Amino acid sequence: MKVLCNRDALRQGLAVANTVIPAKTPKPILSNVCLVATADALELVGTDLDVSLRYRIEDVKVIEPGTAVVSARTAHDFVRDLSGETVELASHDGSLAITSGHDIGRLVTADADEFPVVARFADEGVTTLQGGTFTTLVSRTAFAAAREQGRYAMHGVLMEIDDGRLQMVATDGRRLALAGSPIENGPDKFPSKRPVIVPTKGVQLFCRVITDPLSPIKISVEESQIGIKTQNAEVFARLLDGEFPRYKAVIPTEANNLVEADAGILERKLRLVANATGDETRAVKLAVRKSEMELSAQAAGKGAATAQLEIDYKGKDAEITFNADYVIEGLKTCESGIVRLEFNEKNAPGKFTLGENYTYVVMPITIDA
Amino acid sequence: MPSPTTVLHVDMDAFYASIEERDDPRLRGRPVCVGGAPEARGVIASASYAARKFGVRSAMPTRQALALCPELVLVPPDFERYIAASRQINAIFLRYTPLVEPLSLDEAFLDVAGTEHLFGPPTDVGRAIKRDILRETQLVASVGIANSKFLAKLASDLSKPDGLKVIEPGEARTVLDPLPVSVIYGVGPRTAKRLEALGVRTVADLAALPRDRVMARFGATGAWIHDLAHGLDVRRVTPRRDEKSFSQERTFAEDEGDREWLKRRLLEFSEELAFRLRSHGLKARTVTIKARYSNFKTVTRTKTLDAATHLGARLYSAARELFERVPHGALRLLGLQVSSLEDVRNPAQGQLFQTGSLFGPHPTSPGASPGDPTEPQVRGSAATASAGDAAARERDAVRDEARDEARDARLERALAGLDRLRAKFGARTVIPASLLGEAPTEAVPGSEPRLVRELDE
Repeated sequence: MKVLCNRDALRQGLAVANTVIPAKTPKPILSNVCLVATADALELVGTDLDVSLRYRIEDVKVIEPGTAVVSARTAHDFVRDLSGETVELASHDGSLAITSGHDIGRLVTADADEFPVVARFADEGVTTLQGGTFTTLVSRTAFAAAREQGRYAMHGVLMEIDDGRLQMVATDGRRLALAGSPIENGPDKFPSKRPVIVPTKGVQLFCRVITDPLSPIKISVEESQIGIKTQNAEVFARLLDGEFPRYKAVIPTEANNLVEADAGILERKLRLVANATGDETRAVKLAVRKSEMELSAQAAGKGAATAQLEIDYKGKDAEITFNADYVIEGLKTCESGIVRLEFNEKNAPGKFTLGENYTYVVMPITIDA
Repeated sequence: MPSPTTVLHVDMDAFYASIEERDDPRLRGRPVCVGGAPEARGVIASASYAARKFGVRSAMPTRQALALCPELVLVPPDFERYIAASRQINAIFLRYTPLVEPLSLDEAFLDVAGTEHLFGPPTDVGRAIKRDILRETQLVASVGIANSKFLAKLASDLSKPDGLKVIEPGEARTVLDPLPVSVIYGVGPRTAKRLEALGVRTVADLAALPRDRVMARFGATGAWIHDLAHGLDVRRVTPRRDEKSFSQERTFAEDEGDREWLKRRLLEFSEELAFRLRSHGLKARTVTIKARYSNFKTVTRTKTLDAATHLGARLYSAARELFERVPHGALRLLGLQVSSLEDVRNPAQGQLFQTGSLFGPHPTSPGASPGDPTEPQVRGSAATASAGDAAARERDAVRDEARDEARDARLERALAGLDRLRAKFGARTVIPASLLGEAPTEAVPGSEPRLVRELDE
């Protein structure tokens, strides 16, 4: 192969590819990126077998089509540190020459036949969605997914059609975020009738390749994977095979106490008071009385803190204790500016409404009976 | 520099028995004991004052207690209620000071230094705490106040029941001198006997001995008990627990190589340790097995559990696993230790999904019908054929874990009921199947299961 391309575009493509390609892997071939020069474009292909990427660079001049498989990390770093505007890629007998002006690097190539086959996006049975709709739903939910701990099925975001909307749900068993949005083509066109669980790494890469919120993206769901296609990328993620918890049962439907507050102020005051919590529990007590909320926290051997803010509240005096970090993470994604909190007993979940069709449920911390 | 008299020891009077009396009026005034059934070689965990009149004491074998008091009302323990009451009491302590060091479900040290301007002198705080506890839990506490943990605890012991006693620094000597040495924390029956051989019966006797001599005889413990005899105790009240571990071990009359028999001993140890964890309001995360061979070579094996537990069955399953890693051979000693202890009353992050109901029944378990409310509502898509071994193994592990948790939840609920069954129909009906048809094992005289921390009330 022999291709001329813009250095910046190539560096950017290799950077995205490196978010998928594992640096250390028991299968060394997976640490490579597969460069494919076709008649009119250069495609970068990478996979860790769970998530796969095809990234297309169109602003190129293909002199000779072909394929080269090289270390993704080395290729990225070398291209990043080149200074010229244009880069030439030329493969020749077991190596790939990357040239810019008088600077040249020759990278060892691997056998292209060993590189795993990565699916190609099929345009049948797909739906079209605005990129921004997708990324908004992900940013409202994915943060609540389980990380190191918790069940396999909770290490991802559930996507389903519910009540005519595309809905995403994520939970780590202690809090749960649920956001929905109408989809432009109508819910019937969504390619999956059943709920699917997309691993967190997959949804993050989806968002990485959606660069323009106003451009449409295509979504397809097959037996074991979900794929999206943007203007210059195709990403596939293997679906998580597991049982997602029965989340609807834990969303409170009725509440005795209803509080409305400025999300920004609440977030700042929580952050302030949380400074006096311990490392193990980040418990902050929220005590509400007429028109006022008092936040308080203390840690043995550290100190105590309290703060107050005005709220809209008409009920009886009540209190509930939360992990401040959980509440802050939710408030950060609140776009409406006003947060509504509904809760009952101090050992029952609190429900935050952070926007239209956006609910965040947090389980409290029990300090005493 | 004399420390200020700000250390409180708050000790609930006959805690478990009082909770039982409070919750069941029929028991009031009767000799009530909470403990294990005599058939199961249970011990008394708590005795009401009516029962104590008969000489019944906590940590006494139930069989012996029944002999002393045939009309004894024996109630199996219900730790859920004791933990709830303990949490309530702990919350009361925290109103007055953040320096609360719980010792068990029913006693704690508090340091009220620096709170005078808010709540008045320590005696007032002691009275206020007693009053709050009585009003809010209908339970009675005794309070001891002194300038050290040792004297504060001594004061509460001396004031029981329903007492409040202050030992001022100047009167420590007068209070301590006539008391038997066994009041000193760290002087158990064995040490007491050795001290008696030195002619030491009272605290005054011990205090009069030269420190060097006590140290030469008892090592570091000697220095410690000699200091206490002088009322010197530098331990501070820390919100952390003192207990680091509990263990149970036994030296056999003859070396024993029968693996099945040895496993049954591990089962006994597990049940006993679990009981002690529950009574201290603790759960353990680490389990260690110790085996000593005929030639005195000793091996230990350790396992850390996924989740801390106070259930015998969970401890035993870890112990059995560890025992598999102990080489075969005749043993003269076998022991089990639990460590990495966690307080059940620590602030607890709530879980959204109830343990055991999250994933519904195990696929192979009977009784799973489509309409079953515990059936998972949402299933991810299957990629079974291509998922590979690792994913399949992970799924199995996840299911096993879900099943274990479900079993734990059931076990925990059944605990009280199981103990009641035991009390009613006798141990033989509900003991683990593997102990069926086995005569109670006899320990070598003088090598009873050793308690790391002696039960005290």
